[in-house]
Amino acid sequence: MIQMSTFIAILLVALTTYCTRILGYVLLKNKTLSKRQRKILEVIPGCVLISMITPYFLRDDPADLIAIMSTLFAASRFGMLPTILISMASAAILRTLLV
Amino acid sequence: MPPFQPRITPSDATPLSEFQRGVKDCIPLLLGVIPLALVLGATAAQKDFSLLEVPLLTGLNFAGGSEFAVLEAWTDPPHLLTLIFITFLINSRYILLGASLVPYLRHLPNRKIFPALFFMVDESWALSLTDAQRRLAQFGYRYAFSLPYYAGLCIVLYLAWVGFTTLGALLGPVLGDINRFGFDMAFPAIMLVLLKGMWKGFTEARPWLISFICAALAYSYLPGNWYVLIGALAGIASAFWLIQEDEA
Repeated sequence: MIQMSTFIAILLVALTTYCTRILGYVLLKNKTLSKRQRKILEVIPGCVLISMITPYFLRDDPADLIAIMSTLFAASRFGMLPTILISMASAAILRTLLV
Repeated sequence: MPPFQPRITPSDATPLSEFQRGVKDCIPLLLGVIPLALVLGATAAQKDFSLLEVPLLTGLNFAGGSEFAVLEAWTDPPHLLTLIFITFLINSRYILLGASLVPYLRHLPNRKIFPALFFMVDESWALSLTDAQRRLAQFGYRYAFSLPYYAGLCIVLYLAWVGFTTLGALLGPVLGDINRFGFDMAFPAIMLVLLKGMWKGFTEARPWLISFICAALAYSYLPGNWYVLIGALAGIASAFWLIQEDEA
């Protein structure tokens, strides 16, 4: 079953999301970018990524903090899958041990 | 010590092989996506979303962060303006992500770009952009971004997200707290590996440090999800200052 009010809300939310997805592209599409502007654009992704994960470095639980530091270490050494596994395993183990 | 290394594009790459390369690169990410999808589906079921409404939301919106926020703010009947406002704020980072793709996409026709952007999420954007940056030296801006590779990433993420959110709504009450198995740590792990892939040296990374500091301050002293936007914008603003013409 789909309720009418829920349906409308979902449509509006989805439309809003799609607007954010195309807005950056549409705004910059016809601009000619200098080399400096391209360098600045190249740095943006990292700024967003690091902002998204900042809270993981500020948790109160020591288990979580040790887990994120081991994740940082793993990420500097290994590829995607080993890092994810090390990260999840260290969090699961530390949370069990340090209650 | 390889960071995230997209498989190197062989010279005999076809659209199909590029698509398959995307699918393969995306599979490890499912470790982070699937648990999150199950939790979201279960949360939606608690808010009386039906088994049709859940895939409608996750399939049309397809942006996990905003979906969690929408459910958090959900009322019956829904406050449309509140929901739109929250969605816009949380997804405003996509404006930046979209902007960062401009040099790689602008030569493509609109009929390809606008459907492609519908599927842009943090993971598909980050992997495809890392891949494009790596291919840039070899192919130039015109061919650096591999659209079939991106399609491979997107289809895996989309099917997993819509499928497992629906499954989560079905299984909801049985799941309990899955974070005790550490699944919540998959997300920062993925992001750190991607950052490693974008690392070009400390000088280039100074705006990241500014982002981290400002996001930390915003997270500590402001409510809600402001830290993403504030951290990102502070880093970008500092880039205008730190990246000067002579270095470019």
